Amino acid sequence: MNCQAALAALMVLAASAGSVYAQAAVDRPVRRIEADAGAGILGGGGLGSADANLRRNDPVRQTFRLFATSSDVGRAPLWLVRVAFPLSRRFAIEGALTKATPDVRVAATSDFEGAPSITTTETIDQYFIDASVLIMLDELRIGTRAVPFAAAGGGYLRQLHEGQRLVEQGEVYHVGGGIKYWLLTRNAGTVRSAGLRADARAYFLRGGISFDDRPRSHVAISGSVFVGF
Amino acid sequence: MRSLLVGIIAAVLFSQPLSAYIHFNITERGQSIVVKWQRMPVRWFAKNSGVPGVTASDFQASVSRAFATWQAVPTASISFQFAGFTGAEPSDEDGISVLGFQSNPGMDRVLGATGFIVDVTTGEIIESDIFFNSIFPWSTSAAGDPLRFDLESVAVHEIGHFLGLGHSALGETEVDSTGDRRVLASGAVMFPISFGRGVTRDRELQPDDIAGVSALYPDGDFESDTGVVRGRVSRNGVGVVGAHVIAFNPETGHLIAAFTLTRNGDFEIAGLTPGPHIIRVEPLDDGDIGSFFDASDPIDVAFRVAFHDRLAVAPRGGAGDAISVAVQPK
Repeated sequence: MNCQAALAALMVLAASAGSVYAQAAVDRPVRRIEADAGAGILGGGGLGSADANLRRNDPVRQTFRLFATSSDVGRAPLWLVRVAFPLSRRFAIEGALTKATPDVRVAATSDFEGAPSITTTETIDQYFIDASVLIMLDELRIGTRAVPFAAAGGGYLRQLHEGQRLVEQGEVYHVGGGIKYWLLTRNAGTVRSAGLRADARAYFLRGGISFDDRPRSHVAISGSVFVGF
Repeated sequence: MRSLLVGIIAAVLFSQPLSAYIHFNITERGQSIVVKWQRMPVRWFAKNSGVPGVTASDFQASVSRAFATWQAVPTASISFQFAGFTGAEPSDEDGISVLGFQSNPGMDRVLGATGFIVDVTTGEIIESDIFFNSIFPWSTSAAGDPLRFDLESVAVHEIGHFLGLGHSALGETEVDSTGDRRVLASGAVMFPISFGRGVTRDRELQPDDIAGVSALYPDGDFESDTGVVRGRVSRNGVGVVGAHVIAFNPETGHLIAAFTLTRNGDFEIAGLTPGPHIIRVEPLDDGDIGSFFDASDPIDVAFRVAFHDRLAVAPRGGAGDAISVAVQPK
């Protein structure tokens, strides 16, 4: 699914959701800042394959494979912090910083001179700095306190290679959804709300570390605690 | 008065031996001095006689293209100027750089060779001559001639020496039934053994050649835009001398290599596209060691090919953390 299609799907979902709220729904604050911190798992994905080729000794321009490689990025824990601002009961915007430290793995195989196959690795620091639009799906509310939502957005991808002396940059887009569960809501005091949140997202990365220039997709799940002020 | 050193570098051999790259060095009073041209453009003359199938004019045109190939490297600051035809021989020590055919039956496996006159106090090349052995059949055909060696390809290789580059070991060979070594494939024009007759692929420089000449004559942002991987190769804790270390960039597909050049087994590969590289270490077993090093160098070839178990990151404009590769004896 490309990013445009994902956004279109989200808009259709929002349009069809209607605007009728159940009478017993939790009275969650609107137009109040909400902070969120959590952790999760960022799934791995392929980075492409490439052969280390020499030029064969013949008039026809054939290659001679010295060895083959295939690359991927491994699954890794992620940590995130978010700041959200509910514009209405239906819509919210939020900014997030997500960090993960996955391994980039390159398997070298089929060496012409019989070198044992090996998977070489480096551990990178990866950051997503992105903005999202959240659409609260009160129609699908579970009980009075749990409200599903859909989210989509995009932002900046920053990856630091091992040793932290080389930076790769790119773009990150995401689409997904989750559920928020309010443990607390009140109309006075510094803390106006608090609760738990679970997310599942598909990330689409362009640029950054890539061995074949194709966008990569990763799935992530996370859980967090939010507090509204 | 300048003290001069005359050296002959055997370059391309025919079906028998004759990177990264090695830069020519001389040692003066314990100091290693890089051999290179220090004034541009470098003027060269073409010998005014040809061989069957190649007139002097054909020769000059083909060699001019070969010079242009090196001059076109955007990250290297080099330029050449054709100064005219001459009756001088490439072997003459006359202060001018001459390229031409000569018959040398005694070097019956040598397609061409490059000689130098060098100021040993500064490393400046004063004169460099290239001879192409006329005992072999030569071609300047655009598509190559399956019965003849491609002059332009050999000229590109020899001009690499002319600039101060040594041989690259980026290639694979096999020994045939007569004991001669044949190239299966190569990854650098500066590989010491020529492709076969009719093959024109060495008209085009490879990443290893470009890194080598750019490191020797850096231009523009070459040093700030490329990275370095350095490290050490050891066997049982002892440095390996003469190990061939290849860096492969999975993103670009480039192969650039170097040798461990100290008794500690240290190596440095410059001119790398920034990013992670796979490091592969192999013994120097695809050519005569004499094509790369002095006979007195204690080159170690008794170890197995191995990959380093971590990706080596070449940062932009500098070197990453030094890596250490332990190899196993054969």
